Amino acid sequence: MSTVGETLKLLHPLVQKYLRQERMPHMACPGCGIGQVTHSVLLAIDELGLTPQDTVWVQGVGCSSRITYSTWVGDNIDAHHGRIFAVATGLKMARPDMNFILFTGDGDCGAIGGNHFIHACRRNLDVTAILFNNGIYGMTGGQVAPTSPLGAVTTTTPYGNIEDPFDMCQMAVAAGAAYVARWRSTDFKPLVASIKKGIQTKGLAFIEVLLQCPTNFGRYVLKTSSPQEVVKYIKEHSVTQKDAQKLSRDELAGKYLLGEFAYRPERKGIVERYQELLKAHRKE
Amino acid sequence: MAITIIKDFCKGCGFCITNCPKKVYELSGEMNKKGYRLPNPVRIEDCTECGICDLYCPDFAIVLEKTKKKGKGKEAR
Amino acid sequence: MSSGITPGRYFVQGDEAIAEGAIAAGCRFFAGYPITPSSETSETMARRLPEVGGVCLQMEDELASIHAIGGASVGGLKAMTISSGPGISLKLEGLGWGIKNEIPYVVVDIQRAGPSNGVATRVGQGDLYTIRYGSAGGNHCTIALSPKSTQEAFDLTIECFNLSEIFRCPVFLLSDETVGHTRELLAIPPEDELKVVKRFKPTVPPEQFVMYPLDTPGVINYPFPNIGEGYGICVSPYTHTPKGYASTAQEIQEKMAKRLVYKITENLDKLVRVEKQKMEDAEFAVIAYGGDARPAMAAVDIARERGMRVGFFRPIILWPFPDGEVLKVAEKVQTILVCELNIDGQLSREVARAAKGKAEVFHFGSGGVEPHLPMQIFNEIRRLYK
Repeated sequence: MSTVGETLKLLHPLVQKYLRQERMPHMACPGCGIGQVTHSVLLAIDELGLTPQDTVWVQGVGCSSRITYSTWVGDNIDAHHGRIFAVATGLKMARPDMNFILFTGDGDCGAIGGNHFIHACRRNLDVTAILFNNGIYGMTGGQVAPTSPLGAVTTTTPYGNIEDPFDMCQMAVAAGAAYVARWRSTDFKPLVASIKKGIQTKGLAFIEVLLQCPTNFGRYVLKTSSPQEVVKYIKEHSVTQKDAQKLSRDELAGKYLLGEFAYRPERKGIVERYQELLKAHRKE
Repeated sequence: MAITIIKDFCKGCGFCITNCPKKVYELSGEMNKKGYRLPNPVRIEDCTECGICDLYCPDFAIVLEKTKKKGKGKEAR
Repeated sequence: MSSGITPGRYFVQGDEAIAEGAIAAGCRFFAGYPITPSSETSETMARRLPEVGGVCLQMEDELASIHAIGGASVGGLKAMTISSGPGISLKLEGLGWGIKNEIPYVVVDIQRAGPSNGVATRVGQGDLYTIRYGSAGGNHCTIALSPKSTQEAFDLTIECFNLSEIFRCPVFLLSDETVGHTRELLAIPPEDELKVVKRFKPTVPPEQFVMYPLDTPGVINYPFPNIGEGYGICVSPYTHTPKGYASTAQEIQEKMAKRLVYKITENLDKLVRVEKQKMEDAEFAVIAYGGDARPAMAAVDIARERGMRVGFFRPIILWPFPDGEVLKVAEKVQTILVCELNIDGQLSREVARAAKGKAEVFHFGSGGVEPHLPMQIFNEIRRLYK
């Protein structure tokens, strides 16, 4: 399905099996977490036995999408900014038999794409959406995102962000997604397990991943160029739901909760219901 | 463990160096053609084959091969 | 796949005829958002598509609709959406995805009086340039057909689907509230009389197939492989190589722009569809389309009864504009009167351009709400007739 350009004698086994070798190395910045999350996605795909023939990667616009687009050896469908869920609705309803993994970002999903995201959750569209939340708009050079922390200095909030960040997971839960979870890019084991669970859950699986953006978040918000510092910031500002119970309200301020927030596999979605509708009304 | 660093993929982020529990890696003086300084698994005999370096590498630049004997030898490519 | 339609004679609105035409053409995915005066089509599709095993969704907004039909077409289904002026404006960015990636689908515009929300329930003809030039970035051509009656709404919808597969691009059906809401005879022919173009599929293996034929810009009837067919397709809103890989190279941008323009301009001979009435000895021509066409024809008949040598010309295809045919008219007559339901002059501007000064071109406009009355047009003919 992909022609191999320059063949390297030895390649990472996941790259060999699933990625277009002429597109490697991918164009993420040094230290960016997108590659780590992609690695976890590929592990999940591998462990579940999904193939490039039955699985489509769908992207939007932003680092999450631009970096992963056209790396997958199967079909890659990159939508306009914010419209990934709308395109995925058409794709899935045309091919309900295929698996769709969506790579979206904080702006793509939470700003311009907010409405489509909400309705995809409401419809419980049977796809797996991975939200790459790096708290900033990376691809366009470091502007504030709906997920940027309060007070963050970015290129469009030079005096500090005065808006509270969006809790996308709570929105997904409220809108009706079947499976909702949040992890960090460095939570490899639980993230892979979550992605597998999401793929296997009928309905919309929404997995938010907090990941480091050393180039923009590190530079503008944290005044550091070190990827390790950004990873440390994420670790210090996240807590498991169990540990959160021991913290006071003040201690919890500005911290992300990790783990699973919803698992409702019994909840029917539009794909399943449409099949039932066809059974009842199809005349030919 | 046989550890191969795919030079052309490495972007010098340093995650393998800072996250290895056994401090197997060090920053080497060698640069790839993009100017990134490569890691070097100098203490391969201490490697416990945990695989953390592979997971932490965002660029699929570390290829590991588990061996029965410890410290099989390293190769940078 | 059977056509899904039942041959016979029906008494329906233009909007409903569009739905039946789509189904007859093999459309099996529809996504829309209610907007007057197009909602009847959406409602008909909602009832009819499940009967033929298709998918009909009311999406959360106009943007979701155009993107969903793009996804569905990439997914392998013939797809359509419908709207009116304000909704078409919303769809324009999404339309670019279909244009750039050469995705076949049909977009229907039931024009209404504008600008902005205007008069939702009444006719206008203000979107001619919107559908041609409204999508960002230029570097493409548009195909748009326009019906004058319920029967044509059915026939031309099928034609739109066929052209979208032949040219591998979005195609517009540019209609309006008058045609959309007029209830009249629709004759649906037997299935074997329908001419439906199937999607072209590759005949070579994936390694040899070129997804976007940038090096052969004029080629049409070109295959469009979909997801899950083993071709590992790459679809992206960014300028991309023939394989679909995003590129910033000037050479690629140039080739892509030429591909999107030339595939239509190098095949104009396949895209001429006009109607001429009483033009053989005409000295004066009246041009109109859509909901203003039949009042214009009636005005021409009145003029003929008074001995005036007036003829009627109607572009059935609005884009690419039938320059050659309009020039022939301009070379034949002294005066051309363009009737349309807008004040700023859109069709008249195109006619004047194509006429190249060979005839005097006059714009007879109205803000909309009602189509012109035949007597209104006749009075203008009489005023200008030499």
